[in-house]
Amino acid sequence: MNDTNQIVDPVYNFAASPAFASDQIIFAARASGLYRSMDGGQSWQNAFDSLQSQEPIPASWVAVSPSFAQDQQVFAAVPGGVLRSEDGGQTWTVAMLATPTPFITALVISPNYAVDHLILAATMEDGVFRSTDGGAHWTAWNFGLFDLHIYCAVISPDFSRDQTVYLGTESGIFRSLNGGLGWREVDFSVEHAPVLSLALSPNFGQNNTLFAGTESAGLFRSGDGGQTWEKVISAEQVGSVSAVLNPKSVDVLVLGDEIILVSRDAGKFWQNWQDHLQFEDQLLCLAAPQGVESGAPLWVGLANGEIMQV
Amino acid sequence: MTKHNHFERVVFQPQTYQGMQRGINAIANAVRPTLGPLPRNVAITKIKPHDQLPEMLDNAGLIARRVQQIAGRDEDAGAMFIRQLLWRQHENLGDGTATTAVLFQAVYNEAIRFIVAGGNAMLIRHHLETGMRLILDQLNALTIPVNDRATITQVAESVCFDPELSEILGEIFDIMGTYAQVDIRSGRSRDITREYVGGTVFEGGFHTQLMVNDPERVRARLENPAVFLSDLEINNPEELVSLVRQALDAGHTGLVVMARAFSDPCIGVLTSASRNPQRFNALAVKTPGTGLQEQTAFLEDLAVLTGGRTFLSILADSPKNVRLDDLGSARKVWADKEFLGVIGGQGDPIQIRQHVAALKRRYENIDDDDIRKLTLKRLGKLMGGSASLFVGGLSEIDINAKKEMAEAAIGAVRGALLRGVLPGGGAALLACKPALDELAAQTTDLEERVAYQVLSRALEEPARAILANAGYDPNVYLARIAEAGPGFGIDVRAGEVVDMVQAGIFDSAGVLLEAVRGAVSSAALALTVDSLVHKPRQKIANRP
Repeated sequence: MNDTNQIVDPVYNFAASPAFASDQIIFAARASGLYRSMDGGQSWQNAFDSLQSQEPIPASWVAVSPSFAQDQQVFAAVPGGVLRSEDGGQTWTVAMLATPTPFITALVISPNYAVDHLILAATMEDGVFRSTDGGAHWTAWNFGLFDLHIYCAVISPDFSRDQTVYLGTESGIFRSLNGGLGWREVDFSVEHAPVLSLALSPNFGQNNTLFAGTESAGLFRSGDGGQTWEKVISAEQVGSVSAVLNPKSVDVLVLGDEIILVSRDAGKFWQNWQDHLQFEDQLLCLAAPQGVESGAPLWVGLANGEIMQV
Repeated sequence: MTKHNHFERVVFQPQTYQGMQRGINAIANAVRPTLGPLPRNVAITKIKPHDQLPEMLDNAGLIARRVQQIAGRDEDAGAMFIRQLLWRQHENLGDGTATTAVLFQAVYNEAIRFIVAGGNAMLIRHHLETGMRLILDQLNALTIPVNDRATITQVAESVCFDPELSEILGEIFDIMGTYAQVDIRSGRSRDITREYVGGTVFEGGFHTQLMVNDPERVRARLENPAVFLSDLEINNPEELVSLVRQALDAGHTGLVVMARAFSDPCIGVLTSASRNPQRFNALAVKTPGTGLQEQTAFLEDLAVLTGGRTFLSILADSPKNVRLDDLGSARKVWADKEFLGVIGGQGDPIQIRQHVAALKRRYENIDDDDIRKLTLKRLGKLMGGSASLFVGGLSEIDINAKKEMAEAAIGAVRGALLRGVLPGGGAALLACKPALDELAAQTTDLEERVAYQVLSRALEEPARAILANAGYDPNVYLARIAEAGPGFGIDVRAGEVVDMVQAGIFDSAGVLLEAVRGAVSSAALALTVDSLVHKPRQKIANRP
């Protein structure tokens, strides 16, 4: 375990460059701003320094363009709006969302972004905002979404064909099959809600597999796009599931309250990521830009502000 | 007026069957030309002025509705029997009325021949209903679920035959889903356009323009307000003062007060409270809905949506009894002269979800038309937005005809989303024939065999009518369809026998199932009418 940085504000999420293996760029969104590392997480600089703000600008989420190597676009969620950078996080332009000020809980970018320029912003109380011009303008799109309290959002890796997006909310899960224009509730019991994290299989277009992590009911898996669900980890084993990653169809990584579990067989058998691994505070987010093979870097962000490579 | 008009007149057989049959055939034959994608019009002449053009209709439900009475009282009894059925089908589903009429007519005409020859009407009715259940089972087995925009568009087009309107309805229902609230309005151009409005919108705006804070749109708009829900008449300003004080003490920067009426001093209290709009804004809005049932329903929905309690006049509630946790809240509330919008109600999301699920169950199971319509309205409002469809045209007559067609297409699409679709053009009904023919061949009971044969022949009639209306010889094409196999039918526009599903020619399953159920059960009932009692003629009241 390498203790890299100790900052006192919570770490909400990470976003790594799609070409992380070569460019070593990774961002961390946190209460004191957006941090960028260009050396694989060895050092971090506040990417909002260029804004010259007197007060820290909290970043609740960061997302990187799928074609980052070409367009250098980065998006950071800040109170009431979205900041967009077209130079890898050095300078920023702001796009405001409709008032009252929404709190953005997730940004998802279309895998086909270079063509459709689609980004969705999920919010804590105001549902989903949709941008089709690369984040310059945003419109609320909540038709069919009668629970506007969203904790997480994921977009299909096969989005250009299936136009599928899932949302985890206070009362369960919603799905859009038309790129976020209209939403339908997924048959996920309200007794298991809220849903804090979602992950789609990298082969979702073929196997319709997704995982849903809940606050107090454990981790669930569906192999039919959300029509039926089975519990694969109990709440006693994991606590709140604040993040799930499914970087390869058989590899699943789950972030519990103070534990990281990994499965190498698509969720049948689970084990600790590392034996004797202990954390001083609640785990909030993780990043595994090169998958979960042995030796690949894995970062976790804690509620106390710590960023750890494990 | 002659003396005998004061007494009831009783009609016996064979006049009963003969008269009713003529009336049934008159209505069914009137609407028959409207069946299929190449329908013909029916002209309804105006009573006055005499120089006005007749109304041109190709919607069987509306045509049936325009017939208030036909000549001959025996005939009128038959005509009104089928008219009522068709109008009910039109009101409930918006489509399928011509199919219903043609099926009803075929079942009645075929079965009456057997009954006149000595068959037992009650037994025939029983076996027709057994056969009907078999047909419904067969249709259910053939049903294909609908979940994509292309199929929704095709279903709409199968009803309105208007590609532009169908495309827009496909988009609206793809975005907003089965329970979409679609308001059909007259457009200002020749085109058909649509507009989406986010949030839950009710009819019933602000009480006074004094509270407008968005002068450009003549709107009052509050962010994060507390919401007081009621159908009260608030006349005592002191009651409002305590309500405003509670909201202020709790740190709210806005308060929406919903009531049926306010006295002028009460409006004064609310406008005074908004004197410093940076600190506090109050808004008086009308209780939405008309009538006690609708108002109570909307208030219940608003209570769930905003997490508030409703204060009802029927319970002698008063705003002076309000506690802080009785107030709901929302991210935004706006009101103009006509409408009230609530966006981001802060009610418990799990309760909202359970409330929506309960309303969906009620909508799918309730038989009462009024409650069903109100439930659909409620669901539409809770789905997070509504769509306005602006229908343009060359003239007011053209616009009105298109609006009625849009209404019918919306009903069919909703039915398709709820119940799926079936191969269109009568192909689904034709596919049910072999099962009936097999049963008819197996039974030794005469009435049973006749009932199944009657139904089997009746199932051909919609396809026959579609073919005849399009100018084809039904006998020739039905033979070709039978040769091609189940699921095949004729694409009348291309004149080719095709696999209807592959060709994208669908009928709404909900509409077709209801057409079969309504036609067969009503015809079976009509067959049991043995005598007629005519009441003395009164002045004709408007029939629904």
